[in-house]
Amino acid sequence: MNPIGTEPYIVLSMVLFLMGALGVLMRRNAILVFMSVELMLNSANLALVTFAREWGQVNGHVFVFFVMTVAAAEVAVGLALIVNIFRERQSINIDDLQQMQG
Amino acid sequence: MEWLFLAVSFVAVLAAAMMLTRQNAVHSALFLIVNFGCVAFLYLMLDAPFLAMVQVTVYTGAIMVLFLFVIMLLGAETTTDTSGRMRWLGLAGSVVAIILLLIFAFPIASDMLSDDRPEPLDARAQLRVINAIPGGEAEEFTVMEMGFAMPLAGRVSASVALDAVDATMADSRIDGVIYNDSREAVRGYTDLAAGEYTVVVGVDDGSYVSGPIFTKDLILSPDSAVSLVVFENEEGLVDVSVLTDDISAPAVGKMRLTLFNAVTDRQVALVDVGQYTARRSLCEDASCNSLIPHRKLIDQLPAGDHTSLELAEGTYNLAFVDQNQNVLRTLADYRADRGLIETRVLVREPGVPGSQASYRAAVYNALGVPAFGSPESVGQVLFIEYVLPVMLVGMLLLVALIGVIVLARPDALAQAERRRINRRRRVNRPLVSVISQQTGSDVLSGDYLAKLTGGSADDSAE
Repeated sequence: MNPIGTEPYIVLSMVLFLMGALGVLMRRNAILVFMSVELMLNSANLALVTFAREWGQVNGHVFVFFVMTVAAAEVAVGLALIVNIFRERQSINIDDLQQMQG
Repeated sequence: MEWLFLAVSFVAVLAAAMMLTRQNAVHSALFLIVNFGCVAFLYLMLDAPFLAMVQVTVYTGAIMVLFLFVIMLLGAETTTDTSGRMRWLGLAGSVVAIILLLIFAFPIASDMLSDDRPEPLDARAQLRVINAIPGGEAEEFTVMEMGFAMPLAGRVSASVALDAVDATMADSRIDGVIYNDSREAVRGYTDLAAGEYTVVVGVDDGSYVSGPIFTKDLILSPDSAVSLVVFENEEGLVDVSVLTDDISAPAVGKMRLTLFNAVTDRQVALVDVGQYTARRSLCEDASCNSLIPHRKLIDQLPAGDHTSLELAEGTYNLAFVDQNQNVLRTLADYRADRGLIETRVLVREPGVPGSQASYRAAVYNALGVPAFGSPESVGQVLFIEYVLPVMLVGMLLLVALIGVIVLARPDALAQAERRRINRRRRVNRPLVSVISQQTGSDVLSGDYLAKLTGGSADDSAE
């Protein structure tokens, strides 16, 4: 059996999640913000798989599968939006996008 | 193993850090691919090979290629990042991240420090009971029930009086009950943590495992599958035989057939009767003795014991015969599909007393426990328990597809813009003023009007 316990994986997933959150907060490039969101989703998936092994249940894997599907849909739509925004304003700096600010 | 985990996680964190700090978006995307590859490797270490492959194909393949494609399409590799007024956001982000880290780390740290942590349930085993008691002769045994009592192991044997077993069981932990009232249980395995058990076979009379008729100490090794065959031995007493099912894949192009002989008063052999066509559908028991000329011995079945054999793929006509060459049961057109694992128990049918005994070979499919995290196990859960979510996610993908097509229509924005400009031109620059600018005089006076309508109407275009 696997000698590595559950905790190291959870700690790793936590660290990756926080790096993703940092990326979302700090980077101004919309594509990089998107990539950071993907990083966060991935770390959550890692935690799900870890707990699935801990409890010997495949349901966690199924959930990861769904998360991946939703992430794929989200990336497709998001990137299409980014392409349109770039076409209109020649920039994907998210600080420039203030049209909807009240 | 630990150094492998440390190395992979170090690379993953390093790649994530590089991704966050690169100015060039292409470099960031490449580092994110490295990170996703590391996560896929960790999935492999976590017994999730299916997800590892999906991770590689979907994330590092499809999604990251989409990212790179968009970055290069836009030429936005080096968008200037932080404008001066937003510099404080980096600091704020770091502070928030550290606070989140503390919040997340607290439960794990407190859990690691405490001693009474539950052991992870990683090693599993499968157990089932097969009821092979002739129903007609021992009617009370048609429903079997089993209790598992952990602390009993080693202390109680089958010879202990029933009262003593009951008394011991009163203060022991019951781990589970297998309830088997069917002779055709196709799967029927019960999932248990691997370990030592004392199995109590009892008669179900409405109350809980009353009057255990048999107890057996059993060691379930990890990833094994065990069948308990309850049958009647030669003395007419209830006996339990432990059958360790071989659930590994059979040899290429073959099936594995495990046979248990619960008819203890006869020597039984399995024979291949070859091709025979005459009245095959009518001939299923001893009456077809004369119809079966050719017999080839496949295997001997000792009474109260099992034998395991591998059959090459194909269709067979099999028969169970006793020592006097009488046919007890035939299996006509028996299909041996490759990869199939099957257990069959030859058992005497409950019949009318005095008439000729009939026999049957009950099927117990053993192919029931795919390895944890394999495509098979994930697929079973995905398409049985989660059919509705799968369909909803499919719908979501479809909607996203349509949305992307609408958003990325190449001329949607351009067309709207052109229409707007056209409208403005038509309003702002009347035809008359254009012409008067070109000719240098007032259009509306003199005979210019007649000239215009005749000759230079093309200029009115735009």
